[in-house]
Amino acid sequence: MNYFPDEVIEHIFEYVGSHRDRNALSLVCRSWYRIERCTREKVFIGNCYSITPERLIQRFPSLKSLTLKGKPHFADFSLVPHGWGGFVYPWIEALAKGKVGLEELRLKRMVVSDESLELLSRAFPNFKSLVLVSCEEFTTDGLAAIAANCKRLRELDLQENEVDDHKGQWLSCFPDSCTSLVSLNFACLKGEINTGVLERLVARSPNLKSLRLNRSVPLDALQRIVARAPQLVDLGVGSLVHDPAMETFAKLMTTMNKCKSITSLSGFLEVTPRCLTAMYPILPKLTSLNLSYAAGIPGSDLIKLIRHCKKLQRLWIMDSIGDKGLGVVANTCKELQELRVFPSDNIGQHAAVTEKGLVAISMGCPKLHSLLYFCHQMTNAALITVAKNCPNFIRFRLAILDATKPDPDTNQPLDEGFGAIVQSCRRLRRLSLSGQLTDKVFLYIGMYAEQLEMLSIAFAGESDKGMLYVLNGCKKLRKLEIRDCPFGNTALLTDVGKYETMRSLWMSSCEVTVGACKVLAMKMPRLNVEIFNENEPADCEPDDVQKVEKMYLYRTLAGKRKDAPEYVWTL
Amino acid sequence: MEEMVMGTLDLITASPHSSSSSSSSPTTDNNNNNNHPSSSSSISTRRTDLSTDLRLGLSLSPSHYSTPSSREQRSSFDWPPVKSTLRCTLVEKSQISHFVKVYMEGIPIGRKLNLLAHHNYHALVKALANMFRTTILCPNSHQLPLISGNNVHVLTYEDQEGDWMMVGDVPWEMFLTSVKKLKITRADRC
Repeated sequence: MNYFPDEVIEHIFEYVGSHRDRNALSLVCRSWYRIERCTREKVFIGNCYSITPERLIQRFPSLKSLTLKGKPHFADFSLVPHGWGGFVYPWIEALAKGKVGLEELRLKRMVVSDESLELLSRAFPNFKSLVLVSCEEFTTDGLAAIAANCKRLRELDLQENEVDDHKGQWLSCFPDSCTSLVSLNFACLKGEINTGVLERLVARSPNLKSLRLNRSVPLDALQRIVARAPQLVDLGVGSLVHDPAMETFAKLMTTMNKCKSITSLSGFLEVTPRCLTAMYPILPKLTSLNLSYAAGIPGSDLIKLIRHCKKLQRLWIMDSIGDKGLGVVANTCKELQELRVFPSDNIGQHAAVTEKGLVAISMGCPKLHSLLYFCHQMTNAALITVAKNCPNFIRFRLAILDATKPDPDTNQPLDEGFGAIVQSCRRLRRLSLSGQLTDKVFLYIGMYAEQLEMLSIAFAGESDKGMLYVLNGCKKLRKLEIRDCPFGNTALLTDVGKYETMRSLWMSSCEVTVGACKVLAMKMPRLNVEIFNENEPADCEPDDVQKVEKMYLYRTLAGKRKDAPEYVWTL
Repeated sequence: MEEMVMGTLDLITASPHSSSSSSSSPTTDNNNNNNHPSSSSSISTRRTDLSTDLRLGLSLSPSHYSTPSSREQRSSFDWPPVKSTLRCTLVEKSQISHFVKVYMEGIPIGRKLNLLAHHNYHALVKALANMFRTTILCPNSHQLPLISGNNVHVLTYEDQEGDWMMVGDVPWEMFLTSVKKLKITRADRC
């Protein structure tokens, strides 16, 4: 390959897309490193503090698309205090200064201020796509800037962000000349929008394929909007609530009948269940259905709906569907690949889903490879059956609502069940454990989970041995997050070199002490070891023997960060 | 029902966060939490205590969600691992509903309305005006009716003692605990 001119190698590299493959290419030899770095357009940075923006820009002059992740995963569950970090502004500032031709920015769990959105909207004339997932701090003012200034905007995708809705007219800020929208998702916004403005925007966006509305769009406006976009592929209905005028409802049904391309449906934040019949025309073609926010749909209506969805590949649903409903899913959705069952709040009602539903799914859906399952109980026997029926799991996440519940039939911990999962599913990359668990489950994981990259543990284990089995055994481990487990200093310090092979480690409410963290930080200068000291005053040096409430460590080439709040000690 | 509603009132007066929810907090725009906490009392056990209990195998079952009413007040209890956006949606749905019958004068068939879906008198009047397609005078406006016709109405309610009263004189929370039925009567009758 060294005898090919650079142009040929460049051309070959064009076919190599994935980040991992690209990273591998750059390690082969110096000339490949050089060619690769000059031609790389898309970069993925899993931890925004692992590298400085300047270094990124220096290495990849052709950068067009950047993905950044900020806060650790457990921030989703309120375990990371406010103000920890993950600010995107310095990145945007550096990219602007470096005159990067940025076209696409995807952020997850980052702090995005309106100032950063404004700068983003002005600094990159070719900017096309903004995707914000689980971010915070921005308001509709920032969105207004994006709408007004990004002349080539194709995608504005807001997923599960905390947005202060100033009820301004941000949608009106899209100029009449903006006709390039392909994807618009504002389902997470809480405020009212001007439906007339939205309708006109949709009417002048012939390429619009994905539209997800928030709950403020009433049924009649929904009908008019969808009527303007029969080419839609992905629809998010914010609100489907009874309109006293029955003709509107009939109109909506006719409109849905004309939408021959919709394969993805989501939303229903507000819903009158009998209005769901309006959606029936599109159900048979759906490959993706997300009802995880549709708390207003009772189980019986969910079941009725599912019977029409024979082509589903991805289903996100609430546990109000029940074990019986999951049985219907198993009989109907033979193409199912990904299933997520979320807990609904059933005060005083019977247990929503149990191991029975999962077993039914495993029997009926052979293609299943991704699972997130919140349930009231799980048994070893069920997990063993599931492991046998579905050896193709890539992601397996179980969350039992009673976090340390043993197998209710045998009163045993769930070690054997999860052991069966890791032994059978050789391609498992992500695993979340739940229920009563001893060190044994970690022995199994260390022994069998060879491809495991991410492991989430809560209220499990008996001793340091548990954590050590995992650290020693899982060679491909990248992210380990642990809360409320009896793992301590020995587990933390036995193999310090391991952490440089990983992206990050989170430990909270465990048995690790300040002293041990200090030792670790001293031995590994290329790790940032942060401990969070929420309850102590900022200038009070904690005792070495004191237990650490929360610790987050990650490998980095950027050194100690300068934007940490007072309660974060980087050792 | 009466007890549950009275219980709610107790929770309202006892709660230190009662009516001053910050309007800029993104999680409380439609969130009734501060005024109507769920009667299935949210578990706000300190996480450290609970984790000790769990380790002792007491297998407490935290089957109800804690109710974060604003960013600052986020509860420290965070199992099951559910994103805050979903948690807020569920908290809204879990609130007690308080459906009352609503009649409009001259129409024999009544409707039913969930009072807890509204935050104040203004919202209630707006919803009813929409439901019954008429003009209802807002209770606290001191205007005299400009149209003395038969398409302007006022809102009245039957209280726990069986008396028919004009809606709007007492604070919203107090109204919620005393209302049994609603009636939309012609303005020129009052």
